[in-house]
Amino acid sequence: MNKTILIIEDDNFLQGLEATKLKKENYEVLTASNSTEAFKMMGSKNEVSLVLLDLLLPESSGFEILKKIRDDKELKNLPVIVFSNLSEEKDMEQANKLGISGFMVKSNFTLDELVQRIKEVIGQ
Amino acid sequence: MDKETEIKKLMEENKKMAELCAVKADIVSMSAHQIRTALSGLKWIIKMFLDGDLGKLTAEQENLISKAYDSNDRAIGIVSELLLANKTEDIAEKKYIFSEVDLTELIDNSIFDFSGEANAKGIQMIFLKPEIRLSLVHGDKEKLRVVFQNLLENAIKYSNGHGKIFMALREKDKIIEFSIKDIGICVPDENKSRIFEKFYRDPEARKKDVIGSGIGLFNAKKIIEEHGGKMWFESEKDTGTTFFFSIPISK
Repeated sequence: MNKTILIIEDDNFLQGLEATKLKKENYEVLTASNSTEAFKMMGSKNEVSLVLLDLLLPESSGFEILKKIRDDKELKNLPVIVFSNLSEEKDMEQANKLGISGFMVKSNFTLDELVQRIKEVIGQ
Repeated sequence: MDKETEIKKLMEENKKMAELCAVKADIVSMSAHQIRTALSGLKWIIKMFLDGDLGKLTAEQENLISKAYDSNDRAIGIVSELLLANKTEDIAEKKYIFSEVDLTELIDNSIFDFSGEANAKGIQMIFLKPEIRLSLVHGDKEKLRVVFQNLLENAIKYSNGHGKIFMALREKDKIIEFSIKDIGICVPDENKSRIFEKFYRDPEARKKDVIGSGIGLFNAKKIIEEHGGKMWFESEKDTGTTFFFSIPISK
């Protein structure tokens, strides 16, 4: 069965591009624009294999979502790749401390490089 | 107006200016992140065209689209520079938090941070570590990190490709001296006095790299001076450019 990736991204334009690319690579894709939607998807029967997480989000920030994932008994080991346009060292350090499988600055990477990183983390 | 009233008025004005400045910096940061987001989407779409995801391109189309990709990447670079300038402009001004800092470790970390960029240009970064463990300096770790980052970034930017960057650290008479040397462009004699000026960019630097704010060295020097130290440089044609700074060790 194809692995499922949850994209948490509030910008519809980028969310659409990311989803198209990942579907093309044969991943199942779920999308959420905020924390409530995201946890609804992770909490239901969806077997999410990896979360692609933006940091600047409405409601709760990406950091808060990440912390909530790490504090959750069921979800704490879920791989998370931060995919954001924040690029300051303090942001990377904060995310690293919470536990991530990658920190990629959107404007510095192509979607192919993103797919490559995802494959390194969860395989095809 | 008596002196006291005048001072009070000036302090109030200064406070207002500082607040205005902070608001301005926030607006710049927010806008820059939004521009970056739009440019990211553009980058990904152009890449899809270049990769033939949407059908094979003619040679002419490919040529133009790849120019669009480069141009977009340049815009991304400018936005990154803007964000950095926006952040570093206030970093030299912000309150200094002093503690005992290990400069050897800070340099190692900065080298690691820039390893991707250096590799991409085939540049080797060589840190000639002192044989003995050097004294810690009394300094602001985050601000000193900015100094190393600025100096390393410049050295990589203005080096000739496939060159070497040498860094050294030594201690003498209760002072630690750092140097970073690259073989790249040199600063002509007539412009040497201007290199640490705010927003100044040498014409040679502009030729080599169009992106730059002219604020990095200004800030670096200011931070070093806040540590009671000094910063200077030597630049000769063919032998390259070396930047130095020295700061007193812990009190």
